[in-house]
Amino acid sequence: MVLLNLRVSEKATLGIVPWHYARNGGNSVDVKIQGSNAFKYLEFNLAPGEMVTVESGAMASMDAKVDLRNRFNGGLIKGLLRKFLGGESLFINDFSNPTDRPQRLFVTSSCPGDISAIELNGNSLCLEGGAYICSTPGVSLGMKWAGIASWIAGEGLFKLIVSGTGTAWFGGYGAFVERNVEGSYIVDSGHLVAYEPQIRLKTQLSSGIIGSFFSGEGFVTRLEGTGKVWLQSRSLSGLAGWLNPRL
Amino acid sequence: MDVQIVQGPGSSAARVTLSQGETCIAEGGSLIAMRGNLQVETATHQRKRSLMGGLKRLIGGESFFQNYYTASSGSGEVLLSATLPGDMVTIIPSPVAVIAEGGAFVTRSTNVEMDMSWQGLKSMFSGESLFWLRMAGNGPLVLSGFGAIYTIDVDGEYIVDTGHILAFEESLNFAISKAGSSWVASFLGGEGLVCKFSGRGKIWCQSHHAPAFGGLVGPLLRARP
Repeated sequence: MVLLNLRVSEKATLGIVPWHYARNGGNSVDVKIQGSNAFKYLEFNLAPGEMVTVESGAMASMDAKVDLRNRFNGGLIKGLLRKFLGGESLFINDFSNPTDRPQRLFVTSSCPGDISAIELNGNSLCLEGGAYICSTPGVSLGMKWAGIASWIAGEGLFKLIVSGTGTAWFGGYGAFVERNVEGSYIVDSGHLVAYEPQIRLKTQLSSGIIGSFFSGEGFVTRLEGTGKVWLQSRSLSGLAGWLNPRL
Repeated sequence: MDVQIVQGPGSSAARVTLSQGETCIAEGGSLIAMRGNLQVETATHQRKRSLMGGLKRLIGGESFFQNYYTASSGSGEVLLSATLPGDMVTIIPSPVAVIAEGGAFVTRSTNVEMDMSWQGLKSMFSGESLFWLRMAGNGPLVLSGFGAIYTIDVDGEYIVDTGHILAFEESLNFAISKAGSSWVASFLGGEGLVCKFSGRGKIWCQSHHAPAFGGLVGPLLRARP
């Protein structure tokens, strides 16, 4: 399940991104992406009155004075659709600082791996199921029809789309490889994490029917258009494929 | 006994250097390699072949046997690993004793006394093992975590989601509580029960949650025929 044209070494060096300031309605959130590529996590230092929206269950630890409120992930109907068809959670959480002093908040991903931030300024980004971690207010979470082909390839009928103004953070399994696509680009289905919405996805067999079966690649995704994509250097289906014969 | 954590934080190992006559006590099955004239002894508890000691450790999430590595002539080196990928931390549990999560133990010096610690029935809801390990003494203790390890200095109250606690200083109290001000919000938001620490002291947290990752991989695994 490893696609050969990924040049993983480019991003495989261990590095800590020292400071990352994110826009939050004109102000900046004090947040550090901590840890190595293998285990990144987010350390927020919420200023008085500041808030971040966090995926259900992603809070690791926090000062006891941080307040938590939850809401349906984009309304009840959309929330239900997202839960049952998009593989996302029904609720998302708003963590805010109601005090007059800075408060700590640590947020993590379920997968050991990389975390990246995307600055949104009217643009949007499509995320694969489970990639979304958190975002500043002003970022809205929506759903995008992904098509039957995506469902056949095991990637769900809907894609999560983040848009608006602010910053969103997303994570994956392994290190991220960023690529600028021009024309077409082929990705193994389990390795795609995020892509810009003008890119179209098509699911196809990696080669002929027999070749696809024996090469271990099976379905691949053909990306078409111009824009940026984020790939992950490991895939969960790859791990499961290695574990299954050993159980 | 000198401890160096190498190749952290992703795939850390503990390199323990022992002077002549020194002993380190390591979790069974954690050895990668060793050098020097080392005498290895396997015992259940404090070098006594005590069944109770072994059973108590078994309940605490540790292995029944522990290995004693002694540099009998000249210095020696022991290289130790953990099961899950992640970082390790060296703690000296003195003057304040440290309460550690059972599965986190890697090695300790003979100066560090290890005992079971009953934190009450609340541990059942903490997502950690029912029994904890109480470590005290002026010597190095090595713990391992799933992911990166960060420390939090608590002065007041601090919340850690269940499963992210590696260890905490005995001066802290912990209770099972909710995240935020509402029980409903804590449950609906997927946080459920959390551990609330109060007082003054240090907490060591692990960045990732092994059961959460297991929840992603588990459904992809086939049932054994």
